[in-house]
Amino acid sequence: MSRAGRTSRRAGGAALAAVLALAAAAPAQTAAPAAPQNQKHVVWDGNRTLPAHFIPLRDENDELIVPTETGPLPYSARFTCGPCHDYAKIQGGWHFGAMTSSRNGRPGEPWLQVDPRTGTILPLSYRKWPGTFDPRAAGLTAWDFTMLFGRHMPGGGPAEPTDAEVEAEPDGRWSVSGRAEVNCLACHNRSGRQDHSEWAKQMLRENLRWAATAAGGVGEVGGMASRLKGTWDIYDGPNLDDHEWAVVPEVRYRTVDFDSKHRYFFDLNYQPADDRCLACHSVSPKDAAMWSADADVHSAAGLKCTDCHRNDLGHAIVRGYEGEAAETGNPAAASFTCRGCHLGEDAEGAKTVTPGRLGAPYPRHTGIPLVHFKRLACTVCHSGPKPKDGFTRVRTSRANRLGVYGVATWSTDTPAITEPVYKKDAADRISPHRLVWPAYWAVRSGRDLTPLEPATVEAAAGDLLKPEEHIAKVLIALTQVMGEDEMPVLVSGKFVFLPNVDGGIDAAARAGAQPDAPAFWGIRKGAEVLPLVPDFDPAAADKDPAIETRFQEFLQALGSVADRPGEPVIVVRKTLYRLVDGFLDVSELPAEPGPATGPGWLADGQFRALASDFDVRTVTAKAGTEQTLTEEQVTLVLGALAKGAAKGDPVYLSGGRLFRLDKGGRLDASADRAAEPVTWPLAHNVRPAQQSLGWGGCTDCHSGGSDFFFTKLKATGPMLTKNVATRSAASFMGLGGLFQRVFGLSFIVRPVFKVVLVICAIVAGSLLFLASLVALGRFAGFLEKR
Amino acid sequence: MLFTIVTILVLAGTFLGLAAHRFWTTREEARSTILYAEIAKKFFAWFALRAIQMWRQASPKAWRARLLGLPLWRQPVLEKWLYAAFYGSFLYLAASGFFFGVFVPRGLFGYPLVAHVMAGGLFAVCLTIVVLFKGRNFIAVPKPASLSLALIDPRKMGITPARVKLWAFWIFAAAGFLLTLSAVLPMLPLLRTPGQRFMFEFHRYSAVLSALAAMVFAGLELFEAPRTPDA
Repeated sequence: MSRAGRTSRRAGGAALAAVLALAAAAPAQTAAPAAPQNQKHVVWDGNRTLPAHFIPLRDENDELIVPTETGPLPYSARFTCGPCHDYAKIQGGWHFGAMTSSRNGRPGEPWLQVDPRTGTILPLSYRKWPGTFDPRAAGLTAWDFTMLFGRHMPGGGPAEPTDAEVEAEPDGRWSVSGRAEVNCLACHNRSGRQDHSEWAKQMLRENLRWAATAAGGVGEVGGMASRLKGTWDIYDGPNLDDHEWAVVPEVRYRTVDFDSKHRYFFDLNYQPADDRCLACHSVSPKDAAMWSADADVHSAAGLKCTDCHRNDLGHAIVRGYEGEAAETGNPAAASFTCRGCHLGEDAEGAKTVTPGRLGAPYPRHTGIPLVHFKRLACTVCHSGPKPKDGFTRVRTSRANRLGVYGVATWSTDTPAITEPVYKKDAADRISPHRLVWPAYWAVRSGRDLTPLEPATVEAAAGDLLKPEEHIAKVLIALTQVMGEDEMPVLVSGKFVFLPNVDGGIDAAARAGAQPDAPAFWGIRKGAEVLPLVPDFDPAAADKDPAIETRFQEFLQALGSVADRPGEPVIVVRKTLYRLVDGFLDVSELPAEPGPATGPGWLADGQFRALASDFDVRTVTAKAGTEQTLTEEQVTLVLGALAKGAAKGDPVYLSGGRLFRLDKGGRLDASADRAAEPVTWPLAHNVRPAQQSLGWGGCTDCHSGGSDFFFTKLKATGPMLTKNVATRSAASFMGLGGLFQRVFGLSFIVRPVFKVVLVICAIVAGSLLFLASLVALGRFAGFLEKR
Repeated sequence: MLFTIVTILVLAGTFLGLAAHRFWTTREEARSTILYAEIAKKFFAWFALRAIQMWRQASPKAWRARLLGLPLWRQPVLEKWLYAAFYGSFLYLAASGFFFGVFVPRGLFGYPLVAHVMAGGLFAVCLTIVVLFKGRNFIAVPKPASLSLALIDPRKMGITPARVKLWAFWIFAAAGFLLTLSAVLPMLPLLRTPGQRFMFEFHRYSAVLSALAAMVFAGLELFEAPRTPDA
């Protein structure tokens, strides 16, 4: 059928649907026409095989996709998979239903909104988890959320808003991008062509409706919806005026995977393979080599993630924590906890569960006192990295953007996530957690904090948050006139700053330099750094004419800097070099006292340095650190926010501290509940028994200086300051450090104590035995009275 | 919960039993009637009166005087400190163990637990020394038994306060041994979780047994009828 024919059929179909809807007096409208449900597929027939999925692909209008037609639409899971699998039911699953679910469940990893420029690390969750903000309360629309986190979302949920939600969100570009439906292939595709990186790229290109097709390897998608005007619609077709930039997204299906009936072969798994889960749920120690990372002991034994984390069609994934069975009303969940599977115990410790599922071994736990099983979760001893001095810094897929491969580096080191932090969970048992310190700007009103969006902070801060950008602009401009072996640099303190390919600057350490060495602009040639403007006598007769030629090049390059504060000039002693009508003009400095030799801007007759002292001071202070804000910046931005804040007191949280300006305008830090770290329990990786805590004896934890109790956690945050919170491991557990130290030290004498007790037991027991023999002998008359 | 009920019943029953014994052996009105209801009535009247008297007499000063009046302090130096450590450790063990076991759902924890473990070690050592050097004083010398129905007749068993005291000593020693055993075994890499759980319960009920024996022994030793010069 031709495209015109399909359009007319759509119109007819829509009219018919409207008439039917009115006739049926339907109480509610759905985002799209409901896919028919074939009830015979709902009940499993008992066969353990998976049917070959030769499926006719259908687009979002429920029309058959013919791959060889011109401009076919991307396939729609709702209408392709929906006829057999209840799409509406799947939409309520754990991965998709956070916005609408009434059940929060045990806290999990929140989404972390990270904005390095404003120093924002804001924990977000649609579920009401402690320490997190509802994205809606933080000013994020579903569109914003999808653009921020779509890279690691499986479609559905915020990425698939209803019509009403779309209409309520005028700034969203849903009409251009379409909606990212639940991406069945993200988990169930067995094909090696399933490409998470492609998904992330398509989401960032705003190709939401095309992302599943591209990521699943079903077809190749070109074009970017993000470059199209907001008025573009899927029915507008290709942009005939632009084949280079604003190219409309288009699918080219892999025709080889279609049969003659236009049925596509989906190579599917009933149980998703581990790598599908790990695309979004990987956690690895920062800076660890891939070869050194061990798999979870369950994976090593041949189990898949979904062997325990099961679900039915409703996709309410069994998360495997104790108490889940009661929370969800799914009694089977009790057999997928550690205790359920290995010990046959439910959350209350009753032996109500059949243990040994899938061959789970029964643990011996020889010599482990009972109190450990009452007070600790199994994961304390068995999961996550072993406690070490200073904890283990890890990166997670969703927080640190892991698993997106390409030319650009997507992964980030921040936010800093730390594990294993042992603290009490909702059941008052100590369990290992991952931890992140929140950092964000907010307005405080009474005890309530309302986070400020990064854009609001940037608008108020103006140039205060852009020192790197200012310096990068100059360096990038100068790059245009550098030789092949030359690189423009800014030298300041112990660092050399170079432009990078992302339009920013990188800092390299400068061997032997003093921290207070004056800054200068230079040219790096090999290992040598020469001043950009050498000191010479401009009035000298024998000066090198090449110098002035280079000055002209530099000035031309600096003239290309966007938003420059003035005319580019170079000052050498009291001589001013500038371009007049494209030619180098040499004159006396108009103002006294003049600056030192160097390049700069001439604005209103005043000489200004290429980069302000504030910019240079700020980038120098932050060089070589992870921090993106200095105390000076925070002070100035808080001042700027105070001027514009409509209501309340502007504050900034970082490193476990709340910062605000005191009455004198100075930065004041205090502890605050809002600055406390956000934690969520961890369960994997489970280590082998020989690597569990306690295998080496009680002193694995109970010693005078064990890392389990006494290692210190220093808070991290985007702000460069010494004023950060420091917590001991024991404090997270709600245990007294002094007691644990005393108790730990008692283990020094424990071996002697045990020997004494054994001797006492042997002696007393022997005497009792003898006494009982005597009494027995006397009773029987064998022994005479003494 | 079961442990709490058993503990309260055993300790309260023993206490009342000792009081009844004292009432029976020291008060003339106990034998003034053969009606059990009357005897019980008289017992509770005496018991209430005695409790009020003791309450009124109780003061730190009186307790101190009573403590210093114990024959313990008149023993040779080694025995004196042996018994002081023995009684002291047992009192702390019983107080901390039963208080946390009965009234604190979490059980014994924190500094009281550390002190309990330390006192337990001291108690085990003292008990061993006492049994080793003083046990011979508590050897009962029953007559050789003859096979007859008299063996199961309580009236013919020759149950006297003196014999009960001897048995209380040996039961206390046996319970102390079981307490030591059930404390040390879980510390060794021998028992699995069910074994640990069994030893935990075994330790608690051994403690109840030792408390019962100690109460009987102390009750008979400290509150036995004062002997008249011609007795």
